[in-house]
This record gives sequence, C-alpha cells and structure tokens, in this order.
Amino acid sequence: MPISLTRRTVLGAMLAPAIIRPTLGHAAEPIRLGAILSATGPGAGVGLPQRNGVLLAVKAINEKGGIAGRPIELLVEDDGSNPDAAVTKANNLIFSQKVKAIIGPTLTASTLSVGGVADPEKIAVMPFTGLGLEMEKQRRSVFHMLPTQDLNARALLEFVTKNMKTRKVAVLHDSAYGNIVMTKLKEVNATYNVDFVAAEKWEVGATDVTTQAAKIKATAPDVVLVIGNSATPFRNLRQIRMNAPLMSALGTASYEYVRAMGDAADNIIFAEFLVAEDPLPYQKDFVETFHKEYDTFPKTMEASAWDAVHAVAAGIAKAGPDATPAAISDAIRGPYAGAMAKFDFSAPDLTGLSLSSYVYSKLEKGKFTRVPFTAGQ
Amino acid sequence: MSMMLLAQACATGITNGLIYALVGLGMAVIFKGSRLINAMHGELAVVGAATAVYCVEIAMWPTWLAVTMGMLIAMVLSTLVDIGLVRRLFNRNAREESFLLLTVGLGFTFSAAVLYVFGREEHLLPAFGDEIYEVAGAIIREQTIWIVGIAAFILIGLKLFYKYTDFGLAMMAASIDPDGAATTGINVRLMRTATFALGGLMAAVAGLLVTPMIGVSYQMGPILTLKGFAAAVLGGLTNPLGALVGGITIGLLESLSIVYISSGLKDAVALSVLIVIMILVPDGILGRSGRKGG
Repeated sequence: MPISLTRRTVLGAMLAPAIIRPTLGHAAEPIRLGAILSATGPGAGVGLPQRNGVLLAVKAINEKGGIAGRPIELLVEDDGSNPDAAVTKANNLIFSQKVKAIIGPTLTASTLSVGGVADPEKIAVMPFTGLGLEMEKQRRSVFHMLPTQDLNARALLEFVTKNMKTRKVAVLHDSAYGNIVMTKLKEVNATYNVDFVAAEKWEVGATDVTTQAAKIKATAPDVVLVIGNSATPFRNLRQIRMNAPLMSALGTASYEYVRAMGDAADNIIFAEFLVAEDPLPYQKDFVETFHKEYDTFPKTMEASAWDAVHAVAAGIAKAGPDATPAAISDAIRGPYAGAMAKFDFSAPDLTGLSLSSYVYSKLEKGKFTRVPFTAGQ
Repeated sequence: MSMMLLAQACATGITNGLIYALVGLGMAVIFKGSRLINAMHGELAVVGAATAVYCVEIAMWPTWLAVTMGMLIAMVLSTLVDIGLVRRLFNRNAREESFLLLTVGLGFTFSAAVLYVFGREEHLLPAFGDEIYEVAGAIIREQTIWIVGIAAFILIGLKLFYKYTDFGLAMMAASIDPDGAATTGINVRLMRTATFALGGLMAAVAGLLVTPMIGVSYQMGPILTLKGFAAAVLGGLTNPLGALVGGITIGLLESLSIVYISSGLKDAVALSVLIVIMILVPDGILGRSGRKGG
C-alpha cells in the first residue's frame, strides 16, 4: 500500500521539528544531537528516507545503551529545502541548543549555508551531499556522506566501458542535477574515451520527454544514461521501443521511482550503494533492522543516514561523551566502516568513498538484482 | 534528419498538444461562462486523476467506477468553490484580480491536499488500451487515439451545447451580459455554478486521460494550468476550438524545437514563437470571433 505509507511519512514530516527523546530507563544525561533535513519542499523525496534512517539509528543506539551509557537526544529540524531556513535552524541548534554535531542537511545549497556557520565552531556536520565547490575542501568539520558528482560520473563510465564493453553512449539528463553530472561525464571522459552519440536535456518537472527520447533512439546507442530525478524519461524511452539497456545514478535507484516507472522498470542498471534484496555481508544487519522497523527495504539514502548517526556516535565514543564539539570532529575525521560503504572522513574530499565502494544493480521486471561487478579495478 | 524522427516529433507534439488543449478547453469553458481565469484548473485535473488512482490502488474499485468518482469529485469541488467562495466575491463586487488571486491560492491549497493524501510519488492509471501502432516509423500508443477521439467528442459536444441548447445559451448569456440575462429570467448565479461544475468535469477528464501516459503527481497542476492557459489564449479564450488549435500549436512548436534546435531551448523557442503570434494576432489564432463567444 504505497499511498498509505507515504501519508504516514508526510504526516510525520509535518510534525517536524521534533525532539526525539530517549525512552525511559536512561538515567544518565543525554547527549544532544541535531538533524537538519528537507522533510518538505523539493528535497523531501530524499529527505524523508534520510529521516527514516536517522530515526532508526538513534533508536538502535539508545536500545543498545547509548554512547558510553548516555542516551542520544535528537532535535530534528525541517529546512523546507531552503538554505536560508537551514542556516537559521543551524544557528538555533549550535548556539541555543548546544548540540554536539549536526546530521544533514539534505541538499547541496543547505550544506553550503550550514557549513558556513558550523565549521568555524568546529561542530561536525554530516550532510547527505557530495563535496561540491572548491571552498568546501577547507571546511574540515563538514563530512560528506555521499560521493562527489565526479565519482558518480566515473562509476557510470566504469560500468559502461568495463562491464558492457561499449563506447557508444547516449545521455538523457535533466536541467539540474543531471546537467552537473553531464558536465562531469565530459570531464572524466578523457580517461574512458566514450563516444557520446547524443546528449539531450529535459526541464525539471517536464511531463513528457518523448521527442528527446526519439532523438536518442535515432542515434542507435548501445546504452542510454538517464540522469535526473524523474521516472518519466524511463517510461518515454520504453514507450518508443528503445530497447537498449538504460543506466542511471543512485538518485533514481529507489522503490518510489520504480513504481512510477510502471512497465518500463526493466533492464535498467544503477550505480548505487545498497541492494537490500541481496545485501553485502557488512550491510545485512542494517537491512534486517530496517526491514523489521519499517516493513520495507532501505536504499542508499536510508543507509547513508544510518551511517551518519553511527559515525558521529563512534566519534563521541572515541572522544568521550563530554568532549568539545571540536574534539568530536577530530575523532570523526578518519576511517569509518558503515552499512552504505567504507568512508574515510580524513580524505581530501571529506568522504573517502572510492569507485570500489559502488554496488551495481539491475532492475528486472521491477525487482532490483545485484550485478557482480566492482569498479576501479 | 530522418523521416522517422520527424514523424515521432509530430506524433509527440500532437499528443502533448492535445493534453494542453484538453486543459485549455476547460479553462475556456469557465472563462466563457464566468469571464474568470481559473488558475486552479490544473489542480482540479490532478484532484480528479488522483481520486481515481486512490480508488483503483487502495479501494480496489474497477477502473470505470474509479474514473467516474474522479470526475464527480472534481466537479463537486469546482462547484463548491463557486458556491462557497466565488459567489461571495461576486456579491462584494470583487475585481478580476481578486478572483485570480482566489484561484491561485486554491491551486496551492489543492496541491498541498493532494500531497498530504496521496504522497509525493507519481501514479499511473491503467490505459484504455495497450496497443501500439507504428505510423511512418513513429510509435503511437492506443491511449493517444483515445485522447484524440475524446477531445473531438468534447469539442463537438460543447459546440452543440452552447449553440443549440437553452441551457448552453443561457450560460453564455449570463456570462456576457449578466444584468440583461437576469431581466429575461435567467438565474445568473445558477448558470455560473453550472459553468464551474462543467469546468471541473472537463478538468477531471483531462487529468484522467493523461494519467495513463504521464503519471499524476501533486506538483503537476501548475504546469498543466500554464500550458492549458497558453493553449486557450493562443486559440482565442472563449472558443473551445481555439484551445484545440492553440494546444496543438504549442505541442508541435515544443517538439520541433527539440528536433531542429535544442532540447535545452525547447521552452524558450516555443514561448518566443507564441509571443510573436500573440503580437501578430492578439485575439488568438481563430481571431476576433473567438473573443465574442465563438
């Protein structure tokens, strides 16, 4: 029942901001963390799954006795997908609520604005974005939970050239996120020498991209990279009998998009991080816990959120529950083996994800199956 | 440029144009009967389609019953907007901009309500038929044929309704000259309510027809309203045939822009051409007769 599930999550989102207090039984003083997520607005499509991952992680940690015997108290804020709202929420969390670290934000613009406030205070921020602007490299307390677009582009071309062994590639991308990835695809192509036989764009919110799909079909590519946050291009490509494999990035690797694809959800490959139907050994515990709690399978966004909270918890455990935010940041700045992937927050991109971190999946009649391929080898 | 690509672009342009036209038709009906621009029309289409999706996916109703319910809900909602809000504004002699603001605000409200009840995802309705036809290399879905047929049926029906039925003539009279109509015994308020009911029904039909092709989501209302409004204005706002001509013109302009110029410049090219057309024929493609009531 997808609709009723969503109604619950939207209702939950509308109740934010919320304080998630530890359950009774914890006598010790709680450790206060903040979370800034996009539970409403255009970013909610990823913000709500992240919220589920964050809440579950806090619950799991508290059920296991908290951090050094002290439970986590989580203050959840919704930035409405607005960077101005995000910075207001961050100021409140840092200076009024005195949180030890901030989980999120969801979106790149909010990450930039929150990082500008938090980094001078050396408060750890765990955004669900990849490193973007050059200036972000200087913000050593902002630890990114998702790969850079450069790495996403490489992950796609790795599979195309090494697994599919083809170089005749077409790209259908949107005017926002897809546009950035397209730029990166061209930049990294010096390494892969792919022939982009077509590159067509659709505007965000477009209800039909059949003509762009027809232009792509006319070039007879061996694979089509579909980059953007919409199920429409997948449907349109299949409706005009474009039978070549389609490949996409992790943004569309979700059950929500698969449902919206309808009959088109077949022979589509994703470069992502978690195939919950067939998890890697280090992902099994998380997948089981998540499935038990929500009766549905998690994807990359939920896993990254789970990892963000656990990475902070590990940092606090290492630095000590009464450590300063700066000391906690220092403790986080290092390797961390999560459910999504192995991170190294001391890496120049403050993420440490590599090509080998990616997991590839293929949609076969609406079901995700893991493809045995490791990039970067 | 291959013939196949040109044929596909034309087929897609006409299909999208018919979608804009169906939305524009409803806006033209409301304008024809009330002289109001209904900025929530796209949201009414979404409400109708989303209701049908809910009935099919959750209530497990047969599609025909779900579609009927979708039309009924949109029609009732539009009627209630007239009775509860538009009528009050009329009683207070509100100006045109007040009505526009009202429908813009209601559009946002309906959109938020759909988000709350149905969630963020896109939902598809079962298509009327699953056949796929190949014409000059272009792929055409059976649903497109249905859209063409139903659009033609609605167009002819509206023409006959407004020209030959007393009720249709009374609706037009009440809109063009409310005081004169009232002196001849026409219930002007009832006619405007009937106009809103008919507009709501038209919106639902548009939403229900396109949902098997493009999927309904809470955020598609404004784009439907915008494209439908452009179609209606381009053709001549009070002439239903104008909405059809305008819609197909816009759809073809968009589609051919992608093929011959650039997909990134699709909207810029199409809207630029629209501006030129409106400068050349400010009363719409079908001319002054359309402005006078078709």
